[in-house]
Amino acid sequence: MITRRSRATWQGAVGLAAVALLVTACSNGSGGTAATGASAATSGVTINVALPADPPPQAALDQFTKDTGIKVTWSNSDWDSLQTKISAAATAKTYFADVTNVDWSRAGQLGKLGWFLPLETYLDANALKSDMPQLGSFTLDGHVIGVPYDSSYMVTTVNTDLFAKAGITTMPTTMDDYTNDLKQIKDKGVVQYPLNIPFAAAEGLSTYWYETTQAFGGTILDAKGKPQFTDPGSAGYKAAQWMVDAVKNGLVPPGNINVNDSQGEQTLMAQGQAASTLSDYSGLINSLYNVKDSSTVSGQIQYLPTPGVTGPASNLSNPDGMGIPKQAKYPQAAAKFIDWFNSAATQEDFAGLNGPDKIWGSSFIPSRLSVVEKLAQAGSLADGAHLAAMLKTAKPVFPEGAPTWYPTFSNAVYTNLHAAATGSMSVADAIKAIGDVATQQAGNS
Amino acid sequence: MIPAPRRSAPPTPRADDTVRDEEVRAGRDDRPARTTRPLVRRFDALPYVLVAPVTLFIVGLAIVPALFTIVESFFTVNELDPPTRFSGVSNFVELFRNHAVTNSAANTVLYVVVGVTLSTVLGIAMAVLLQHPFRGRGVVIAILILPWALPGVVEGILWSGIFDPNAGLINSLIATLHLGAGDGVLLGHNRLLTVGLIGVVQVWQMTPLSTLLIFAALQLIPGELYEAAVVDGANQWRRFTSITLPLARPGIAVAMVQALIATLNVFDQPYVLNGAASTGSSVTMETYFVSFQNLNFGQGYALSLLVALVTVALSLLVVRFVYRKVEL
Repeated sequence: MITRRSRATWQGAVGLAAVALLVTACSNGSGGTAATGASAATSGVTINVALPADPPPQAALDQFTKDTGIKVTWSNSDWDSLQTKISAAATAKTYFADVTNVDWSRAGQLGKLGWFLPLETYLDANALKSDMPQLGSFTLDGHVIGVPYDSSYMVTTVNTDLFAKAGITTMPTTMDDYTNDLKQIKDKGVVQYPLNIPFAAAEGLSTYWYETTQAFGGTILDAKGKPQFTDPGSAGYKAAQWMVDAVKNGLVPPGNINVNDSQGEQTLMAQGQAASTLSDYSGLINSLYNVKDSSTVSGQIQYLPTPGVTGPASNLSNPDGMGIPKQAKYPQAAAKFIDWFNSAATQEDFAGLNGPDKIWGSSFIPSRLSVVEKLAQAGSLADGAHLAAMLKTAKPVFPEGAPTWYPTFSNAVYTNLHAAATGSMSVADAIKAIGDVATQQAGNS
Repeated sequence: MIPAPRRSAPPTPRADDTVRDEEVRAGRDDRPARTTRPLVRRFDALPYVLVAPVTLFIVGLAIVPALFTIVESFFTVNELDPPTRFSGVSNFVELFRNHAVTNSAANTVLYVVVGVTLSTVLGIAMAVLLQHPFRGRGVVIAILILPWALPGVVEGILWSGIFDPNAGLINSLIATLHLGAGDGVLLGHNRLLTVGLIGVVQVWQMTPLSTLLIFAALQLIPGELYEAAVVDGANQWRRFTSITLPLARPGIAVAMVQALIATLNVFDQPYVLNGAASTGSSVTMETYFVSFQNLNFGQGYALSLLVALVTVALSLLVVRFVYRKVEL
């Protein structure tokens, strides 16, 4: 039986709970420095590392533990779910990992939110910058929030055998030549659809458009986030039109409207069904195209400096980085790990310069220029000379840093370009929709 | 005559009580007749102890988050636009103005119609096929359950190999059988086709559970009813419509509700098979984009709340119109 008193107690408890909920709801989510419970210990601790990659060889991690006294627990999550975990943990101000992924595309957002610790207070940022051309993609307002562990950048890949079969022996350096060569390959019946563009509504399509825009000699946004692609004469507009025309004119397989970047690489380029990808990932010759188990075109693919308006364009940097979340338990130990992981000696090991047993399978191209050059000299990197040259001139999509609203913008880019490719909207409408999102978001920020 | 299921029935005395009372009255039972004793209830903590863990679980993982969601949906909770502040119904208004959300809502309606209809019809058909024992029925049921046991993402990846426009099974078959060039686009071009095909993948996953739920209901139907119907001259269709369907309604209702919940919350299959494209995006996908891509958690809470309310409302409708209490 519930007495009046106990009923009153229950009512009080429910009321308190409601107030607690309300207070929690109204609480401010912003914050600043390292977690109050963080430890400065750098020995005898275990740090959690969460990255969208397999762990490096256990012997390497064991050696790190032996040298520093820091044990490493490695978690491999796919990129998308890792971003969700980072956001969820940071919003809830809870510990999630000591070291985790900082993607270039989220650097602006993460920098403004203050979810990651400034690494220049833990590491020698100037020394890193001199050997890591892509460190700038992770630097905001003078604060380094991530260190690139992979210097991925976009390159053009061509199947030289298919080009040769069409009578093309000189590789194109301009977009006009490139387009004409692709038409020639199709007209001569070498392959039905010579060009691979992944038109699935996913991040890979946005990246492709950025690289194509760079090829047409333009940029996406200015320093204030204002769109630079809405004028029909702009590079971004031309890039979108060129991509959609490629589908309509039969240069791209019609089914590619639902093919993402990795599917296109595996089922078209690696199987010799497409002759070129304008915006491909550096390192794929080593990790996919020359791997006979998954490719029928081993030895046929070559990197090409991305064709431009009058000559080769600069390449788009697309690096993966690692940083220290603000709620990390052991930020000092995490910094030691990042320092070791990205040192020249470790990157040389991971890249295979010191024997196959030290290779880290997830390392495509080392982020240190000195290591890439060593690899190229040692002949360990397919088409390494080309890659090393392109790394020097690789440019970020957003030189001022990705805007905080980049994910919203990218969503607009890939959903609208996808719709234009399917024919459900015109290029003009797609560009307008993307531009409207950029203008609105830039105005709000 | 074939009995119709009753909506409700008066309380039935326990069989052993009735028998004993009759035996006492007939003098065959020497035990004293039962007397009415005053009810002195002693507090028994055991039931509460046993229920406590699951209560804590439900309160902690369902009730509190639900209350939290309701409260927060009326606040601006945007990591990029602090501080958190009360904003009334503006989150809801913004959602209705967001074309991506309304478009995904329309897609979700199609997912619900396709998914619930097909999984229920197929579930009934398969349950009826399994109703009568046959050699290997257990193995068939075990195999049947496999699609349901697979995670949605795994199914999406599996079916992406079938639907792949360039190297998928369907297009390859079309090319091999000279029925076309084999470069036909399956997903992404046409909204109805895209939702329909993704719906098929979901039906493939949900139907096993629907089948088992309906099959369990069918197992409770006494064989005598069918025998009586045969004697009365009812054909197979009449037996199905007058015995099987009415008496399976509790199972069908539960199967429909689970299909409803699954289709209203569909995420994995459209996300893996069709990316973020508007031709197949669902409301749950938009909730994810709004919350974890745009970091606008207030709108995410509001959208989650709307989905939850629609789920409850539609589930109640199913229970109201499909569920019938059956006593055999």
